[in-house]
Amino acid sequence: MQKNVMSYSAVNRLLISGGTGFVGSAITRALVKKYPAWDLTVIDQNPPSAKHELPGGVSYRQVDITSIEAVKSAFAAVNPHVVVHTAGIIPGLAERFRRRMQSKVWQVNVEGTRNMLHESKQTGVEVFVYTSSCCVVTDDTLSPYPNVDEEWPSSLKSTIYGESKAAAEALVLKASNSEMATCALRPSVLCGPGDCQLLPPIHACIANHETAFLIGDGLNLWDITHVDNVADAHVLAIENLLSTRTAAGEAFFIQNNEPITFRDLCLAIWAHFGHIPPFQVRIPQTMAYLVGLACETVTWAMGSTATLSRGSVRDACAVRYASGEKAKEILGYEARIGIEEAIRLSCEVSDRWSFHLSSHTHSPRITPLVCYLLKIKPPMSQGTQDPCPPCLEIQIKFTWAIDGDF
Amino acid sequence: MGLVGNALYYSFHPMQLRAIIQWKVWHNPPHERNEKNETENQKLCFKFLEKTSRSFSAVIKELHPELLIPICIFYLVLRGLDTVEDDTSIPLATKEPLLRDFKNILTKEGWNFTGNRPEEKDRELLVQFNHVITEFINMKPQYQTIIQDITERMGNGMADYAVKAETDDASVKTKEEYDLYCYYVAGLVGEGLTRLFVEAEFGNPALLKRPRLHKSMGLFLQKTNIIRDIREDFDDNRRFWPQEIWSKHVDNFEDLFKPEHLDAALNCSSEMVLNALEHGEECLFYLAGLREQSVFNFCAIPQSMAIATMELCFRNPDIFKKNIKITKGEACELMHKSTQNLSVLCDSFREYTRKIHKKNTPKDPNFLKISIVCGQIEKFIETIFPTQTAEAAQRKVTGELTAAEAKRKEEDAQNKDDIWFMMALMGVIVVIVAGLMIFAAWMMGARFDLAYKELTQGNFRPPQSIEHGEL
Repeated sequence: MQKNVMSYSAVNRLLISGGTGFVGSAITRALVKKYPAWDLTVIDQNPPSAKHELPGGVSYRQVDITSIEAVKSAFAAVNPHVVVHTAGIIPGLAERFRRRMQSKVWQVNVEGTRNMLHESKQTGVEVFVYTSSCCVVTDDTLSPYPNVDEEWPSSLKSTIYGESKAAAEALVLKASNSEMATCALRPSVLCGPGDCQLLPPIHACIANHETAFLIGDGLNLWDITHVDNVADAHVLAIENLLSTRTAAGEAFFIQNNEPITFRDLCLAIWAHFGHIPPFQVRIPQTMAYLVGLACETVTWAMGSTATLSRGSVRDACAVRYASGEKAKEILGYEARIGIEEAIRLSCEVSDRWSFHLSSHTHSPRITPLVCYLLKIKPPMSQGTQDPCPPCLEIQIKFTWAIDGDF
Repeated sequence: MGLVGNALYYSFHPMQLRAIIQWKVWHNPPHERNEKNETENQKLCFKFLEKTSRSFSAVIKELHPELLIPICIFYLVLRGLDTVEDDTSIPLATKEPLLRDFKNILTKEGWNFTGNRPEEKDRELLVQFNHVITEFINMKPQYQTIIQDITERMGNGMADYAVKAETDDASVKTKEEYDLYCYYVAGLVGEGLTRLFVEAEFGNPALLKRPRLHKSMGLFLQKTNIIRDIREDFDDNRRFWPQEIWSKHVDNFEDLFKPEHLDAALNCSSEMVLNALEHGEECLFYLAGLREQSVFNFCAIPQSMAIATMELCFRNPDIFKKNIKITKGEACELMHKSTQNLSVLCDSFREYTRKIHKKNTPKDPNFLKISIVCGQIEKFIETIFPTQTAEAAQRKVTGELTAAEAKRKEEDAQNKDDIWFMMALMGVIVVIVAGLMIFAAWMMGARFDLAYKELTQGNFRPPQSIEHGEL
């Protein structure tokens, strides 16, 4: 496989959408490291920031993928062989289980993908790799998802995010043909340097004295993935589609393959920062669910945004981990960074950015328990809507403390 | 626990008492040893087996007749080897050649050994070892080869260890040495047994292609014993916990037993548990390769006992104070669950893995590693026995029903119709009966018009007193 790829190396021009985001920048770094001769262009709505570093020699173009004109001119200028499409939008927790942002999410995730695919076909792109999400399958919080594989169907009715990713993924996989090979990678919840979704809200629980609360039995397993492992998977997918093409038209779950309970992830992060809950209060799932319902009612009546909701409680207690067999067999993907190291690395980076973390610790809108539920976020926001640079600003601090984008 | 203690304990743990009674009353061995057909010599060998190990003799005696004698003799041979090795009164010059040559002794008819010190527990076995040899020679040659091969390797391993103990420090330093030691005393037995199972066609031949699996079976058991027996071994001046592990937590091995180092000692023991749990997944994998019920039971019972013991020892300060054991009730329950099938066994494995997981604490430096290994075992069980399949999920999405579900739905609909019909019938009967009663009352002169008038005026009760003026 390696040989084939090398034969392409002289001429490969890559276009990476969402390349200044969390995942996109990691993919860009991995590609530059492995194939320094390749010509990389990043398109994103947000310019590169210090938080998600881009290596030197990578060009950047400001593009809104929802505009077909903008996409068209970018493709015309770059004329890529390979497209990596990571741009997308994840609604924040407050909106995650509601439908208010549906058209916006659909616009970016589905129509944006449609634009990217259309232009790729028009300009003769050979390889199209799409960053999908495990939410394609696992976002219907009513079912448990133990050890799911790629045979599992996508939930037709889930969350606005899961639905939009499922629809976009279907477009991508259907577009695969002999001219352009496509595949979709479905990473789980991510961690790693530059993560502004998973770690900060968990860390904030220490200051909010919320660490003692445990919702449900604390036995539900989750997959968590280091962002560099996801980047590796993208590189492998590109190599595959440039050579044997055994991955064409296929979707793959990508994760560390070391599921741990969400509670243990939190405890490990808190322990890293020297905090160990002095005691533990178990809140039965049904009770938390009722509290969620009450919160929803109140916020509905007040016209504010709900943070704790029935959806988030179910999410917190959900079982969600996938089998990595297919990715291993076809792509040869195995996690390079183990989960223990991944969590340590994420914490260490956050240590250095302690001002970041502390900016989240006094969020007045976060009620007890809520923080605990925050982890929820599936990966992948980055890209066109990445809010990370402004996340230091107080006014939107709340939203990303809750979840990430928006 | 005395009688009173036991009575108190079981009155608060009725499930365990139930398990004991159930096991005693209902346990049906897949094969029963038939004493009538046994020769005097064989009976004698079983007597030795009972004397040397109570727990093993019970499972061995339920084995399939094909493997009953070979495994019994295999056990006695290894026990004989062990008795030579354990006896510190035998000088190395005698011990070493004896251990290395034990393989050939097995074919020397009439051989016995009287050089053990009198207090050695299984001395009598070696004094009358000729009976074991007689049975060994009568066995199928294929089985003989396997047992001899394992005896040779174990004998040499023990001899090397004895030489090392004499000349140099024999304490276990690295994790590799620890694994190697466990391999000699238990991993090799796993290999021998697996070869016997496959030879008898009771095990999948693929088990031999993956030597890691049977190695893990032995190591898991041995490591559990080493963790549980820490105090006893320490008192007997033996140390099996590798220095590579304990030195991370305490400066001197003795510190593990000092109350002021309890936290460090617990962290050390949980690293030992972590080291052992890493074999859990492979043990389940191995058990999936067994084809015969009695062989499955023989292998599964010790494994489930081991995981339960591991759970008992995990973060339990008592292991540094005394010898702890799972209760008899728990043991019976485990035996019951280990003698059904792999799915039931996996359920109890998951149960104990989760118990370990619950006791895990972030104070422990290996907290995350233990959490991961528990997750791995659970994920592995999910791979072999999925709780929900992709097909089921697919149907859920499409709304399609399986044949059984469709049938049940049809039946439900039919039942509903029946219920409606019955209710309608009852209604009709009520109307008819009521009609008849009203008609009868009217015929007898009931004044419904007056009653109606009273009711419309709001008088719902009959008049308080009826005057009977004329009477």
